[in-house]
Amino acid sequence: MANLKPKAKPIAAAKPHKDKPPKDKRTLAPYKLTLLITVVPRNKAEFYLDLLQSFEVNLQMSVSAHGTANKLSGLLASEDDRQVLFSIIRQDNVKAALTTLENKFATIREGKGVAFTVPLSSTVGVAVYRFLSNRQE
Amino acid sequence: MKYKYEAIFCIVNAGFSEEVMKAAREVGAQGGTVISANGTANVQAESLFGITIQPRKEIVLILVESDIKEAVLKALYHAVGLKTAGQGVAFALPVKDVVGLRTAGKQKALPQADGDNASPSADEDDLAISDENEDDGTPPDAPVIDKD
Repeated sequence: MANLKPKAKPIAAAKPHKDKPPKDKRTLAPYKLTLLITVVPRNKAEFYLDLLQSFEVNLQMSVSAHGTANKLSGLLASEDDRQVLFSIIRQDNVKAALTTLENKFATIREGKGVAFTVPLSSTVGVAVYRFLSNRQE
Repeated sequence: MKYKYEAIFCIVNAGFSEEVMKAAREVGAQGGTVISANGTANVQAESLFGITIQPRKEIVLILVESDIKEAVLKALYHAVGLKTAGQGVAFALPVKDVVGLRTAGKQKALPQADGDNASPSADEDDLAISDENEDDGTPPDAPVIDKD
C-alpha cells in the first residue's frame, strides 16, 4: 500500500543554496520544512513522484486512495483511483514546486490533481534534518 | 494564525467514508480522498476486555475553506464520532498554499509565525499542545477546539 521512495540524489550533489544565508548562525535548522501533500490519478503517480524529486525532495511516501465522486456520476471505478503523495520539501522550494505542479495539472491529459502544503513545526535528529532538507551544513 | 484553507483528516472504521462525505457535504465541503489504513489498538487490552476493535480504517482527507472548518468538524463529530458505529476521529491541519483546487487557483495564506520552523532543536512551544483553550468552558457538545 504505502511505499517509501528513497532520496532522489545524494546530499553531496546538492546545489549551493541561492538564498541569503541565515542571519542567526546559532540556528541549527535554518531552512524551514514543509509537508507537501499531492493527490493525483494513480496512473500518473510515478510521474509526479519523479517531478517532485527534482525539487530536492529526499523523502516521499505514496499511498493508494480513491476519490469520493458520486457513484451516480458515471465514473468508472478505475477513474476514481487516486494516489496521495506525501513529500517533505524545503520551504524555499515550495513555490517552484507548486507552480510546476499547477502547470502540470493544467496541461497533462487526465493528470489533474490537487496539491497543498502543511507547515511542519518540528523534527528530531540533526542527520534526519539534513537528509530532509538536503543540506549538509 | 489564520489560514484560508484547512485539511481535515477523519479516521473512521472501514465502510464509513461515505457517511463522512455525506456529513461534510451537507455543510459545504466539496470532495474528499479516501485512504485505506490499519488501526493499532492495544492487543492486550482487547483480549483483557474481550472486545475486538475493528483494525481496518479509512482516512478521509477533505480540503475545506477555514470558514466552514468548524461546521465540518462538528458535523463529523455528530455523524461519525466516537459514540457512533463509525468511531471516527477528526482533526484539521492548517494549509499554507494550494494549487489545483477548482475554486482556489493558487492561494496564499497569511504569513506564518517564525515558530513554524522545523527544527531538530525542538522548541517546547512547538511540541506542547496549546492549552490556550484549556479552560474556555467549551461544552462537550461543541468539541471543536481551535488552537489558532
